[in-house]
Amino acid sequence: MEEMILKLKQEIIEVLNLEDIKPEDIDNDAPLFGEGLGLDSIDALELIVLMEKNYGIKLQDPAKGKEIFKSINVMADFIQKNRTR
Amino acid sequence: MERRELDYVVLNQVYVSVNGRELEHEASGNALLTELYRNHIADWPKFFKMDTLSKAGFVASELLFKEIGECRPGSEEFIQARAVVLFGVTASLCADRNYQETIQDKDNYYPSPALFVYTLPNIVTGEIAIRNHWRGETSFYVLETPDAAQMAFHLACAFQDQVTDSILAGWVDSSRNDDFQAFMTVVRREDAADTEWLAGQLKQMINILNNK
Amino acid sequence: MQERSVLITGCGIVSAIGQDCGQVLDSLLKVRTGVGPLKYLKTEHTEFPVGEVKLSDEEMERMMGIVPGTPTTRTALMGMIALHEALGEAGLNAQDLMECGFVNGTTVGGMDKSEQYYLDFIGNDSRNAYINTHDCGSCSEMIADKFGRFRIITTISTACSSAANAIEMAADMIRLGEADIVVAGGSECITKFHLNGFNSLMILDHNQCRPFDAERAGLNLGEGAAYVVLEEAGHAAARGVRTLARLSGYGNACDAFHQTASSPDGEGAYLAMSKALKEAGLKPADIDYVNAHGTGTPNNDESESQAMKRLFGSSMPPVSSTKSMTGHTTSASGAIEAVICILALRNGFIPVNYAFEHPMENGIVPNMDLNEGCRLRHVLCNSFGFGGNDSSLVISAAE
Repeated sequence: MEEMILKLKQEIIEVLNLEDIKPEDIDNDAPLFGEGLGLDSIDALELIVLMEKNYGIKLQDPAKGKEIFKSINVMADFIQKNRTR
Repeated sequence: MERRELDYVVLNQVYVSVNGRELEHEASGNALLTELYRNHIADWPKFFKMDTLSKAGFVASELLFKEIGECRPGSEEFIQARAVVLFGVTASLCADRNYQETIQDKDNYYPSPALFVYTLPNIVTGEIAIRNHWRGETSFYVLETPDAAQMAFHLACAFQDQVTDSILAGWVDSSRNDDFQAFMTVVRREDAADTEWLAGQLKQMINILNNK
Repeated sequence: MQERSVLITGCGIVSAIGQDCGQVLDSLLKVRTGVGPLKYLKTEHTEFPVGEVKLSDEEMERMMGIVPGTPTTRTALMGMIALHEALGEAGLNAQDLMECGFVNGTTVGGMDKSEQYYLDFIGNDSRNAYINTHDCGSCSEMIADKFGRFRIITTISTACSSAANAIEMAADMIRLGEADIVVAGGSECITKFHLNGFNSLMILDHNQCRPFDAERAGLNLGEGAAYVVLEEAGHAAARGVRTLARLSGYGNACDAFHQTASSPDGEGAYLAMSKALKEAGLKPADIDYVNAHGTGTPNNDESESQAMKRLFGSSMPPVSSTKSMTGHTTSASGAIEAVICILALRNGFIPVNYAFEHPMENGIVPNMDLNEGCRLRHVLCNSFGFGGNDSSLVISAAE
């Protein structure tokens, strides 16, 4: 799981152009949206694309995204349970 | 009447100058924009999400304000009297190409919302307005060439509303990620009263851009 | 400098609900939507209802007398049809155009052909003629050149407020004394490029869109073109041409919130509408109808509702979005909706907000009654584009 979380953080940093952030800067339980990394609605949509591209998980409802992307741990847990790749 | 000369910034993938003074730099291409951001701005991480057109316009505007010594309004304050009117020829072509790549291949088909956002040339005006808390008029005109007289005319038109006092104006163009050019200046209402003079000022900036 | 007034002496339109002003008027009075399944665009994404112009490219070429095989684009063809009607109504011939300006709003330009022939551009030389028809400026020129040599041609590309901004720019030119007649508006066709793009932003409704409805789920894309002939009052009087309406005010402001989303309180929209009213010398209570931007997205309709509530307070006029009938025609929408406003002013009715059913919790309740026989004096027409580019026009009845 730890390996998967590290990979996930690297993917998020790359896909969202978080240029000055390293994986160790991201707390696994910190909120990704609002405070924390301060991601916005477009970032949420890019994470939905990432889920499909890298893990084969298709999310039709953007509103669900807000729950799943609550934190790295919540996201990783969801991916673990639903990935098809 | 003695007119002040307009302050200006000119940059392309290998060159950057402020009021004719060349700035030292090591990188070229898109990396030049990143270098300028880190060395002279450094406090707006949203920069890294922007497309090349927006990065070029954003960096040029920031370097200009540093030179002029203009302060940004406080975070709760918004200004209506500053407009942003930009011109270019290839519009959002660079961003269009990047986005098209995400939908080109049927077997690797993942349209990117973050790339799609920039497939409009006026987003650069929005990025600058968000950064500076400006709520004035914004616009982007597509011209075949940087024509000083036509640009001066459009700027004079923008002062028709009784609200605009000054305009951040310039040419911003990018056809590929490592290929961009921009000049940026601030035009006040009194500057636009004589469009011939204004066109002369813009012509000087265009000449520098064309010769670098 | 004595103020130069701007009149509207001609208008033309082609859209999902009609191919000229007469047909569009008929659809508005019958409350007939033009939104339906995709028919003309060749795409796999057929699940999205759209407001297509019910003409193939070949049919439009025949209408405009274009020799088959001449490189044209769908955006340009629609633009020609609408411009043809506008110039005809204003009584302008090729000779007259040499003194006129043309300001065109478009973002797609000739991209419908570029995306169709992209692989040909790379692999062979069979479609090279279409490389030059791609960009926005070429598109404007193609539309304009069909009818003569305009003195000035300019292209504005500011997303969904492009055509509204084109009209504002044209009015500025007249007020500055640069021209006595400037034709302005916009044209945009649907492409796979932006259908996919809007889908990636998850703001498309899989069903008929429902502006200002509590259960709205997004927009339906549309396409079309419209132009208005703006003319200085004295010049129009000297020509003896009929005045259709007056452009009495306009305003543009930046929301400065996000690249694509509108601020929760709709500050940019509020400022644009306020500016337009101030220019027109009017109070909010003077407005008899608002043609809202009303795309049907959760974000826009909430934001625009708040802005209108703040502006109008207790004197809220009838408000409707016509995008549930035409679809969201993006860069052309400001002009298409301006022409709809002119039709409403001249024929004494208020367009209905088709497909509305459930009132929003804190939103405006849109107009559902044609109010035939009413007398409108001043109407407000909103167009808000990505980049926070918010524009508002005040169109008034001809005196």
